[in-house]
Amino acid sequence: MASTEARGATVVEIPGIGTGQEIGTLSFEGSSVAVHEGDTIASALYRAGIRTLSRSFKYHRRRGLMCVSGDCPNCLVQVDGETGVRCCVRAAAPGQSIERQNAWPSADRDLLALNDTKLAHRFLPVGFYYKTLIKPAWAWPKVEPLIRKVAGLGRVDKSDTPRHLEKVYRQPDVVVLGMGPAGLSAALGAAEAGATVIVADEHRPGARLGAGKTRDRLEALLAEARAHPAITLLAEHRAFGLYEGPEVPLIGPDEMVMTHPRAIVVATGAFEQMEIFPGNDLIGVMMGRGAVRLASQHGIKPGATAVVLGGTHETAEQIEALQAIGTQIAAVILPDGLNGSTPIVPTGVRTIIGEITRAHGRKQLEGVSVRFTGGEERIACDLLLLSGGFTPQENLLRQGPGLPVWGAGDVVGPLPLEQSVTEAREIGAKAFRGEAVGLPEGGTKSKRCGDGGFACICEDVSVEDVKNAVREGFSSTELLKRYTTITMGPCQGRMCHAQMRALADRFSPGGEPRISGVTTARPPARQVMLDEVTAGAYAHLERHTALHDVHASQGASFLWAGEWKRVADYGSIETEYRAVREGVGMIDVGTLGKFRLSGPDVVEFLERLYPNHVGDIQPGRLRYGLMLDEHGVIIDDGTICRLDEETFYITVTTSGAEGLEAALLDWRDTWGMTVHIVNQTAGLGAINIAGPKAREVLATLTDDDIGAEAFPYLRQREITVAGIRCLAIRLGFVGEVGWELHHPSSRSKELWSALEEAGKSHGITPFGIQAQRLLRLEKGHIIISQDTDFETTPWRVDMGWAVKLEKPWFVGKRALVRKQSVVTEKLVQYTIDGVTDAPWEGSAVKVGSSLVGRVASSWYSFGLGKAIGLAWVQPEHAAEGQRLVIGKANHNATVVKGAFYDPEGARLRA
Amino acid sequence: MALLLTCPNCGPRPSTDFRYGGETRPLEDPASSELDEIKRLWMRRNAHGEQTERWFHRDGCRRWMTVTRNTITNELV
Repeated sequence: MASTEARGATVVEIPGIGTGQEIGTLSFEGSSVAVHEGDTIASALYRAGIRTLSRSFKYHRRRGLMCVSGDCPNCLVQVDGETGVRCCVRAAAPGQSIERQNAWPSADRDLLALNDTKLAHRFLPVGFYYKTLIKPAWAWPKVEPLIRKVAGLGRVDKSDTPRHLEKVYRQPDVVVLGMGPAGLSAALGAAEAGATVIVADEHRPGARLGAGKTRDRLEALLAEARAHPAITLLAEHRAFGLYEGPEVPLIGPDEMVMTHPRAIVVATGAFEQMEIFPGNDLIGVMMGRGAVRLASQHGIKPGATAVVLGGTHETAEQIEALQAIGTQIAAVILPDGLNGSTPIVPTGVRTIIGEITRAHGRKQLEGVSVRFTGGEERIACDLLLLSGGFTPQENLLRQGPGLPVWGAGDVVGPLPLEQSVTEAREIGAKAFRGEAVGLPEGGTKSKRCGDGGFACICEDVSVEDVKNAVREGFSSTELLKRYTTITMGPCQGRMCHAQMRALADRFSPGGEPRISGVTTARPPARQVMLDEVTAGAYAHLERHTALHDVHASQGASFLWAGEWKRVADYGSIETEYRAVREGVGMIDVGTLGKFRLSGPDVVEFLERLYPNHVGDIQPGRLRYGLMLDEHGVIIDDGTICRLDEETFYITVTTSGAEGLEAALLDWRDTWGMTVHIVNQTAGLGAINIAGPKAREVLATLTDDDIGAEAFPYLRQREITVAGIRCLAIRLGFVGEVGWELHHPSSRSKELWSALEEAGKSHGITPFGIQAQRLLRLEKGHIIISQDTDFETTPWRVDMGWAVKLEKPWFVGKRALVRKQSVVTEKLVQYTIDGVTDAPWEGSAVKVGSSLVGRVASSWYSFGLGKAIGLAWVQPEHAAEGQRLVIGKANHNATVVKGAFYDPEGARLRA
Repeated sequence: MALLLTCPNCGPRPSTDFRYGGETRPLEDPASSELDEIKRLWMRRNAHGEQTERWFHRDGCRRWMTVTRNTITNELV
């Protein structure tokens, strides 16, 4: 069905007229329905005699085919699990499974139709959900699910979408929406004036046209447009809105084309006006063009006997099309005031000047009552053709204010074909040149409105409902719409906007005109599926280190850390933990943010960036550093390694790397400094080997001296490990002797297996970030964003030692000085004795029975045999020895100072 | 926000390619009063009209640019 051959390039053809040839069957609620060539689902069902396509939203009245153009809500069905499909414009295909929605137990025998009784109407007044069952307060939660069930539209398939749409960007001069005669003419006009043009249509061109002169003309225009090199035709690409920019998103079968044109021409056409009289929603009341579509496109007789409510330049043509297929025309009703001499009715057809007062029928239309001068008559018929006027398809056009939008064709005023084509061509050229042409005010107002029936068939808003709402004081159309939900259903006001405005005029006290304004049109003009919104972004960015597959083969389970997948553990956190404390472990820390900074201004740059001293770090040494924002809040932390006088290597947290790069570049530009910043996050891998036996293992792989004298704590230098040049950084995040080996990530696997091999005899064990979190917690080291938030200053986490206020200036200094006296929370360490598990992170922290804080990090320490953690508490409860009550189980905790493990740091300096 | 930004390195690109850096504000003036500094740090102009702001071309050249945008119409000056 999709006409897209390659993304962005579409072959556009007018679909053939139905030949009547049967090509298979589809399944309709279990029964089999023949599909003929060129069928839509609705035409196949109609041919098979199926008239009830849906039940209405509120009263569950039977609804059937009405507009046959994808505009009204009546034919929404579920197709192969997809809900809300307008089956009058969806091509039928053998094997499809169609179900009607919103009825119980079935659309043919819908018990919910009890809503459509006089008694039920009394309990379902306009705005009933604001009035009924609101009191007592417990009633609404009980009733709401029932109401949702009654008003539901299909069952959503919650499994993942099989579609993945790509996103394509285009920047043509002009975008034309609508591929009818006017749209194609406007495109040709613009292209001849020198523009590049994209023409889009939600359907294939002419898909709704039977044989005739309009179709022939369209064929000729299409051939001309196809031959023009500056015109791109995108059939089956629907625009769901016009956005500032301007930006017009077009959704196609397998792509979303984001267009950024200079000018937009809306040529979306028109459809016949919905008429209001009691019974106007009965099955058998059909738009003129829709009935003709069934007849001339699909060869289906829409009814045996028709009454035509006429008045447009197409009425005569429509009558002839119906007669040609064998429908009897019982009468043509023309409104009073039309010039009687207008030859719009074929000879031999009975013509009545008058108005329809009521449509009769129970399951479907059986006749209409017509009032005319001197009498009223009931005429039997099973089809009522609405051909009394046009409503412009203006939802997109009305989103235009403030944007460079032009209108062409029926959407700005129905004209005879040739006149419309000529005018549209000029408008296309003017749009490209930016010459304004006055748009119509928009928002037509219906001229005829009867005394009863439905003003809005989407939401079952009756004329009476509108009247009551105006009387209740919802007097402007914007309020009326929100209160009654008129214009807010699936048709988005296509059927009812003009009627609402006319009724608002009629019922307003004193007929104040201000209340019948045009309501604001907003996107989406057509329904948008969630998988369409995510076009081009359906996959979550997932970054792997070079060692990911190795970890997976070793039985690792992973978790998210920013965009990265990191190893949580390899099966046993305790084993991994004990290996690091008692023997040797190794962890992939390749996800760390890694930056190389150099240049003449680099020292000054880093001095401004970090709150501690940088300039006095000697080459070959390193220092821990916090990074602050201008408010003195900790945004990241890591190591600052000085490689030589003008070169530094800094690391930052995994999830902070992306934002940090932007921040570094921003400050450099702002200060106008000469600093070369290279993001080496992905290019370099890093493995941390740590534990009392780490030196022994590493020594077997390198000739460099890594002894305690030659390579002490807080030093870094290049060494060669297993033939791989590494920047070895001696750090102690986990509290043991250890080196971070930074190396080209292309050699990560080699290094990993060399370490594994060399450490075998010492029982080297890979560990994940779960074990690492416990290990560092025992040392009292914080993790930025796990233990800190957007208010955390160094004062609050007792890290004043990392801030040197004697420095003349650094980012955040001034705020920090001020905030020294406003410490409203402090991060404290606590222990819980005599438990075997730890409270949840995020647990409440109490003193006695009053809440004083929350847990930030919490672990059961295998080595210490008790639960330990970090918690935020009010400063008056932060003193050493303070008793805290933590979590659901009301554990008794005690605030402690200093690291839980090796407080002097002897092990890590060894 | 549907907006096309012209990156001086890469050309016109949709705003979703960028990271928004907020409106520009003056650098800290060491001589300013405490109150002025608090205003500089916390009080955004949030202009109804033209605003100078920073954009980082995240999915492109990874460079910052400064743009003047009308916040009402989204037109770039």
